[in-house]
Amino acid sequence: MVAALVAGASPPAGFDVARVGAARDALLRKRAGHVARHWPLLAAGLGDAWPATFARWAAGRPGQGGLRDGWDVARALHAEGTLPPLAAGELAVREATTRYDGVHPPRPRRLPALVRVGDAVAVQLLGRVRLHHRPRR
Amino acid sequence: MTGGPATRAAAHAHPTGGPATRATAAGGPPAGGPATRATAGAAAPPGGGPAPTPATARRAAAPAGVGIGWRPEIAGFVADLPGLRFVEVVAESVTPTGPLPAGLAELRRWGVTVVPHGVRLSLGGVEPVDPARLAHLAAVTELLDAPLVSEHIAFVRAGGVEAGHLLPLPRTREAVDVVVGNVRRAQAELPVPIALEPIAALFDWPDDELDEAAFVTEILERTDAWLLLDIANVHANARNRDADPLALLDRLPLERVAYTHIAGGTEHAGLYHDTHTHPVPPAVFDLVREVCARHRPPALLLERDGHYPPAETLRAELDALAAAADCPSVT
Repeated sequence: MVAALVAGASPPAGFDVARVGAARDALLRKRAGHVARHWPLLAAGLGDAWPATFARWAAGRPGQGGLRDGWDVARALHAEGTLPPLAAGELAVREATTRYDGVHPPRPRRLPALVRVGDAVAVQLLGRVRLHHRPRR
Repeated sequence: MTGGPATRAAAHAHPTGGPATRATAAGGPPAGGPATRATAGAAAPPGGGPAPTPATARRAAAPAGVGIGWRPEIAGFVADLPGLRFVEVVAESVTPTGPLPAGLAELRRWGVTVVPHGVRLSLGGVEPVDPARLAHLAAVTELLDAPLVSEHIAFVRAGGVEAGHLLPLPRTREAVDVVVGNVRRAQAELPVPIALEPIAALFDWPDDELDEAAFVTEILERTDAWLLLDIANVHANARNRDADPLALLDRLPLERVAYTHIAGGTEHAGLYHDTHTHPVPPAVFDLVREVCARHRPPALLLERDGHYPPAETLRAELDALAAAADCPSVT
């Protein structure tokens, strides 16, 4: 049952498939809201498309919390070239300040870092981070 | 700013049928403590209620009147409610070793009762309830000097997968046994009584043997737990199943209600969703009046979890709740 709701499985026999689907969609909307709290620029950058964009990515993936879910979505969108510029800056800052391997909980970076995401460049030194935007060529 | 310590102290100096009186008169939940729990099985405590022990004297009063779910986003708003006597906090959001979030610590200093409300215990899970989660809930209860804790009749994980949501149980005798076992484990660890909240669900299991009233009542009878009646859930479930909410209310043990939840929701694709992010609909206020006409709960709590409206809108909603329940306004 839980697999049907969060991991894309079909509900067990006898359930009202439409109702279980409605519950799954409601769960995805709730998760999208949680992620938006951790990644406000990602959600704002996508605007009205945010809930559907998140739902497309999250369907079939159990939630890992708002921070990690948003991080994974942002990386996936960046990989396919559809990450909005606002969100690129947000992702670059996160990548520069925090180490995240996609599997374990994120941890603060101790070493300096320079991260490019699209046109955004984040430089982190001693925990302080500066965000620049490369001029478009 | 109409509240503040001075106003609040005055409000507490002249309680109108204070929590202790109300609890005794209505047979509501006692002020707490292990000694009280032993007597909780009776519909009403013996005349005059149990004598206060050091533990019950230290504990905050049982929930009374109109309250609101305390969330960090509205801490300032809540601190400005002069008549407020109780709030509820999501138990998992409190660090058990302290310190309390600033706003909550202030409310406790003013004598406001804070009830920890668990959302991740998974009392309906087939695995025995997690001892670490129970220890956390017990520690938070102590930190808050809470008279009562609450949790849901639901499960939130299975086979190691977190649903991130409260999910409905099959209403079978087997599920009753599972919940009763977990509630008893919880009661053994918790320093105060527990109130159980039936949830709103968009779907049912195909193999239900009991209806909602029989399911809930049997769990309460076998555990001596109190009932946290979510009136918005009653509305949502009835609305989504073309059922009569009054038929359920008439079969629930309303004299066992410790407090109630009231929240907003919205229609989406033909279903009513109990979102906690929308205004309380008129139909839910109508149900509040129906509940109160049958057996007025000692306390009613407004839940709001996001999309916080302007303070005046939230204040008006609290006033509407107080009016529907014929309680003193807290604003």
